[in-house]
Amino acid sequence: MSIRVCARENNAFRHLFEYYSNREKAARMFRKNGGKVVGELGCDVPDELVMAAGMFPYRIYAGECSHLVEADRYLEYSFDPVVRMQFEKLTDGALNREIDFLAISNSTDTLIRIYLYLKEIKRAEPEKPVPELEFIDWLFTRRLIHQTRNEFTLRLFWEKLEEWSGRKITDSDFAEAASICNEDRMAIREVMKLRRADKPRVTGSEALVIIGSAFFMDRKEHAVLVRQLAEDAKRWPEICGARIFLTGSAQENTELYELIEKEGAVIVGEDHDWGERFADRDCNMGYSPVRAVVDRYMMREFSSKKAFVSQRVEALDREVDACGAEAVIFYMNAFEEAASWDMPSQRKSLAARGIKTRAFTKMSYPVSKNSALESGLKTFIESLKG
Amino acid sequence: MNNDNKSNAEPVRARKSLNATAVAGAYQKEWFAGLKARVGNGEDFGYLNADVPMEILRAMDIPFVVNQWWAAICAAKRMATKYYGLLNEQGYRDDLCSYCATAFAESLDPDDKVSGPWGGLPDPTIAITRLTCDCQSKIFELFAKNHGSELYVMENTQPRRVPPNWWELAPDNWEELYDADRLDFAVEELKALISFLEAKTGKMFDINKLVEVMNLINEQESWYKKTRDLIAETKPAPVTVVDTINAVMQAQWQRGTRWAADHARSLYEEIKAFTDQKRSAVPNERLRLMWLGRGLWHDFAFYQNFEEKYGAVFMWSMYLAMGADAYIRNNVEADPLRALAARYIGMEDFLHMPPWNANWFLHEAKHNKIDGVVYMVPENCMQALEGSYFVKKTLEDAGIPVLIFKADPVDARKWNRDTMTGLVEDFIETRIIMGGKK
Ligand code: SF4
Ligand code: SF4
Repeated sequence: MSIRVCARENNAFRHLFEYYSNREKAARMFRKNGGKVVGELGCDVPDELVMAAGMFPYRIYAGECSHLVEADRYLEYSFDPVVRMQFEKLTDGALNREIDFLAISNSTDTLIRIYLYLKEIKRAEPEKPVPELEFIDWLFTRRLIHQTRNEFTLRLFWEKLEEWSGRKITDSDFAEAASICNEDRMAIREVMKLRRADKPRVTGSEALVIIGSAFFMDRKEHAVLVRQLAEDAKRWPEICGARIFLTGSAQENTELYELIEKEGAVIVGEDHDWGERFADRDCNMGYSPVRAVVDRYMMREFSSKKAFVSQRVEALDREVDACGAEAVIFYMNAFEEAASWDMPSQRKSLAARGIKTRAFTKMSYPVSKNSALESGLKTFIESLKG
Repeated sequence: MNNDNKSNAEPVRARKSLNATAVAGAYQKEWFAGLKARVGNGEDFGYLNADVPMEILRAMDIPFVVNQWWAAICAAKRMATKYYGLLNEQGYRDDLCSYCATAFAESLDPDDKVSGPWGGLPDPTIAITRLTCDCQSKIFELFAKNHGSELYVMENTQPRRVPPNWWELAPDNWEELYDADRLDFAVEELKALISFLEAKTGKMFDINKLVEVMNLINEQESWYKKTRDLIAETKPAPVTVVDTINAVMQAQWQRGTRWAADHARSLYEEIKAFTDQKRSAVPNERLRLMWLGRGLWHDFAFYQNFEEKYGAVFMWSMYLAMGADAYIRNNVEADPLRALAARYIGMEDFLHMPPWNANWFLHEAKHNKIDGVVYMVPENCMQALEGSYFVKKTLEDAGIPVLIFKADPVDARKWNRDTMTGLVEDFIETRIIMGGKK
């Protein structure tokens, strides 16, 4: 199943897949034309604002990096493997050739450390090729003082972007960028309806490509392609198979999804940041720009890193219901620990609702390094068919 | 689980020579009994993470226990194996966040009131933590649920401005130390905490009482400063970390009380008497070692393993030195809440953020005439990832060798004393004595 012929032969999907696979392509072109690229580390850097400043948001990803010289030098061993690779690219000069600036959001405490370390490298070892960076110190606790503080924080980022781009960001710059992002999110949600339908017409692997390509291409173009795809995919064949929800570590590529879907299941939803969470909640255009951005990033569905166990239990129950999943796979990379505290309560709640679960924890990266994974998935998915 | 190793199964108890340690130990037991009585009478009782501004509860006379203190007690009572087993049984990982999760694990023990340390932890009505890492709020919520406590969380912000010598600015010039907006926000958080506590307990927060508490803390920490300076400047050292860590830690959790201030003074006087009498902890002291990282709560005797053979004395740990440098805030009367904000937001930065931690360690190493540094990096705590590369580099660039090793401060299951002793012996021989020339 995974990525099917109908998708591969579809014009819109082919374009999206091209950017998903050649992740530097659009950013390079943008730079070649004199534009500036902002690398984003963490899932809470507001693209809307970067775009409003006339710059190109480009998501930092791990990819496959075999040598970890810098990461091994600077990072203690309990940094998770994905972050290690992202750090390597940020310190060995590889990304310096792709991005002009780096914006880091504190989406997880690991990234706070990465920020502090990069900042210290810049200070103590200025010869290192670390890009100029800015940290967005979001607070995710939902109280008024935190919302107010977030508005302050966002204004700092706004000013930094103005400094980087050398121009003022006007309210109408913002309105235009936010509308594009909203339109893109709406388009993604349209396609995801087809994924969640009683008879899904979009696989999880296809969904990852559709969503993840947004991180690496012009957002307006992305929205147009995804809209087109939402129409086309209505005619794609229906998919049968056990309906799975995936929770846990972010999946930056389709490897795990393809493994699962190869066994005859279909991933109808996920809660990580390279999946549907990206399209959750729009900027409310009735609010002032700063309010709208804070509202969008502070109030969207809870992330596994920044929420209480009880919030995560409710969120998972809610999402599993919304996509009609019959089973949940927990998949967590080694040293990405926070969600493991949620898992026992989540499993209990799901079990009480008749949802089967299977957990894969302390996983190596990339997915292919886990030799027992395939058979584990097979057994679990077989058990769902019975 | 490594139970077959004899030295693991029956660790040698550490020698404790100071009267102040014994007094503190006795006091905390008695205090804990008093606490249980108060809780038994229906009083509110708080359970706090170490970085929560406990001064507020002290000023409101709400009794509280500190998570890290309690975890250390559990570890010293060697309860960890049992508790982590309970985590496992309930589907939790038993190799994560051991320091912060000990009390939650304990709350899974149905026999706690019988076999728990000191008759087990009474049920807190309030649990407060700060969001300094992703796991903290989750663990505290689980803990609070098991005890039926109300959970309250406080945020954590990151500095943009980092002046080099925090320990020089902290006591008087905190406005220079921090971004003003961070302080403003921390004050707002304190006010919100106060409102919560007032509503929850029905007690009023009296700002005059806070001034009193803050001044008692200044008094207490000033004694630590004198003590730290005295030890640093006396060779051979009058005491080791085994003597000071517990004496200081126990009183730190009582900070803001008359007892704690007096205890700090008695600690100073006791050590001063040693130096006056020219008594030293290890008369054949040849090497002075610095311990970086959390206390090795489950095997204090480890610190003394190198005294006889090498005359190597662990004479510095952050516990006394943080008391000396991180807590004092002078002239609190002008704005007590802001002074408190300037204390509690910094702890995380001072200890866990390069270059603040690295610069301070180096400053302290020089002050204490340190020959080598043994640095324990915890295995399973994101918050304690504090730029060990930068710490090591800063110290080694100044000619002070550093040994980094992984271990767990409270989980004895993974600890192998023989291996660790070998590691430190090798470090002493090759890096300190031979100067890396072997
Ligand atoms: S380890 Fe450090 S931060 Fe943690 S409680 Fe002890 S002194 Fe505080
Ligand atoms: S990551 Fe560290 S500070 Fe956070 S809960 Fe775990 S042990 Fe505690």
